[in-house]
Parts: sequence; structure tokens; C-alpha cells
Amino acid sequence: MTVVIGFEGSANKIGVGIIRDGEVLSNPRRTYITPPGQGFMPSDTARHHRAVILTVLKEALEEAGLKPADIDCVAYTKGPGMGAPLVTVAIVARTVAQLWGKPLLGVNHCIGHIEMGRLITKASNPTVLYVSGGNTQVIAYSERRYRIFGETIDIAVGNCLDRFARVIKISNDPSPGYNIEQMAKTGTQYVELPYTVKGMDVSFSGILSYIEETVFAMLVEITERAMAHCSSQEVLIVGGVGCNLRLQEMMGVMCEERGAKLFATDDRFCIDNGAMIAQAGWEMFQSGQVTELEDSWITQR
Amino acid sequence: MATGGDSNLEAGKLEFSLDVPFPSSHEALIALRSLSPDQEPRRGGISKQLSVSGSTLSVRWSADEARILRVSVSSFLDHLSLVIETMEMFGPSLLCDAAQVC
Repeated sequence: MTVVIGFEGSANKIGVGIIRDGEVLSNPRRTYITPPGQGFMPSDTARHHRAVILTVLKEALEEAGLKPADIDCVAYTKGPGMGAPLVTVAIVARTVAQLWGKPLLGVNHCIGHIEMGRLITKASNPTVLYVSGGNTQVIAYSERRYRIFGETIDIAVGNCLDRFARVIKISNDPSPGYNIEQMAKTGTQYVELPYTVKGMDVSFSGILSYIEETVFAMLVEITERAMAHCSSQEVLIVGGVGCNLRLQEMMGVMCEERGAKLFATDDRFCIDNGAMIAQAGWEMFQSGQVTELEDSWITQR
Repeated sequence: MATGGDSNLEAGKLEFSLDVPFPSSHEALIALRSLSPDQEPRRGGISKQLSVSGSTLSVRWSADEARILRVSVSSFLDHLSLVIETMEMFGPSLLCDAAQVC
């Protein structure tokens, strides 16, 4: 029996999760939400995480009904992500690992998403579409490594959506992407150009539907290409943008046409959380990997 | 405690020292290992050295400009207080009150 605690805080979510051999015992999380029209900056985000992390850690232990002595190892996000928040979280992870005398595991954030997706959905060897505010990649496991088959050449799709939400000042609560999705559902008009004016009024839901349809279609295309390349019959979507039901719907259509299976998780596990880091940490621990303190520096890339 | 810095000054460099006492060398070493792995976010113009002697954690900065020094020292003090708070909340009873959750 192996119990792993995982710390995640690479962007605006701070989460601490505990996993025991594939069972999520607790997974509390807090989100730093900025006013409409504003994104989140590294130092403010780090300050937010700093203020709540010890409370969230306490919650994780209490919800799981465990004491520090019950934990076998401490996993944390080594990178990629924003520097200042990563450091804040890494410092707490290093400190408790030493206080409790447990090995430390520096986890790759993207692999955390993938391992959690695989655990929850039981997909065995899927082509993975990882889409979030910070990442957009198509990933497949080949010759003992996760390999990137395709990715954004500039910004992540979630970043594109978030920036657009900022321009038209959509609320960031609970997340800009969620609010875009809700508004886009009410759009009935797919427009070729993102410009809709009705007399003295403007319509934004049409623009958002356009944006969603276009960016999601692009993602479906590159996923399909990777599947063809790898002869894969499974797709797993992970990352915050993976919560979007329209994306899941469009991917589902492509999968059905190919006779492939689509896997996705709900917002507990699509969105950054501590348990996914614990799960990836568990996999590392099982294969005998640990991270020495001197090598535990965080990395933005 | 900050020292003005005199005999060890490189030409034009600002020096800053900080000594932090801990209840024992065990805690001082934990703080050292939690605070030393990450590099300075801004690579140029600042360097710091951490060391432990007995139960005291010592930090020595060397910087080109006062502004860069201030940011680094301020950031370090935030991180240090986080380590100490974590120790108080989750460490053994040496640093805890009986009433707290340890």
C-alpha cells in the first residue's frame, strides 16, 4: 500500500491531493480569480498560494483521515509553469518531506494530467490531447516515453480563449473558459468573420461560437493525424480546456467515424489538482525514482 | 542583521547578510535544503550563498544594484517565513504548541 501526497500550484490553482494505490482520498483546491479583463500575474498568484497552501494541506489530511506518518512520499510539481508560484509550492513540499522523513518526487505537470486521465478513465494506451491555459499538445506513449507529436506553435488554446474573454471582459469566475462555453451555447449563428453588428447592438455569442468551432476543429484535426500516425484507437483529453463539452462532442464525432474510443474526465480532474501530481508521483515511486533535494529546483519550462 | 559590508567588497558590489537562529541544527538544515535548490529568477546582477553553522542559517548576498538586492532579499524573507510557518504547523512538537495540529 502506497500513499502519496501531491502538491500542485503551477498556475492559478493551488491543490493538494492524496492518493492511495489509485484511490483518491482527498483533493481540495483553491483558484486565484482575477477581476474581469485581467489575467493573473506570477507574484500575485504566488501570494495567493502562499496565503492558502497550509490550510489546503491541512484540509487534504483531514478529509483523507490521515496523519503525516501515514504518507509514504511527497510529490510536487517541478514544472513547467509560472516561476514564483512553483517555488512557493515546492518550498512547502520540500519542508514537509524533510519534517516527515519521506522521499520527495518532482513531477512534470503535463504527465500529472495524463496519469490522472488514465487512472480515472482506464484508457490503456490513448493518443492524448492536452489542452489548457498553458499547454496545447498531442501526446502519445512510444518506446517508454511520452512523446509530443503535435503542439501549438505559439500560444495555448486556453490562453487564446482566456485572452479573448479578457478583451470582452467576461467574468473569470469560476474560469473564463467556462463562461465562454456557456455563452457560446446560446449562439445560433456561425459567422465566417468574427464581426457581428446588429443595428446599434453587437452580438458576442456568435463570435465565441465561431472561436470555439474553429479552434476546436483545429485540435480535432491534429489529434486525428497523430492517431493515424500511431495507429491508435483511443483518445484521451486532459487539461482545463478538456472540460469543454463542445470539444468533447466534436472529438467524439471524429472518433466515431474512425471506430475509436474517446475518454475524458470531469472538472475535478481536468482542471489542475493536487491528486494528479500524487498519481504521477505514485507511478514514479513504483519505478524507484525519487528526487534529491539539491535537484528539486523548479523549472518554468 | 544587515552589515554595511566592508573588507570583502568587490568593486561596486552591494553586500547583505542575514543570520537566522533556529531551535536546533536539524531545523536550520531543513530550512537550508528547502530554500537553496531554486535559482534566482533574474540571473544577472545578484548571487546568494546559504550556509548553516550550528543552529543558525546564514545568507550572504552580493548584488550590482540596490533594487535587485531588495527584490531578492524580500522574496527570500517571504519564503523563509513560509518554511517557518510550515515547520510550526506540521513539524514535531519542538516548534508546536500542544493545541496545534501536528
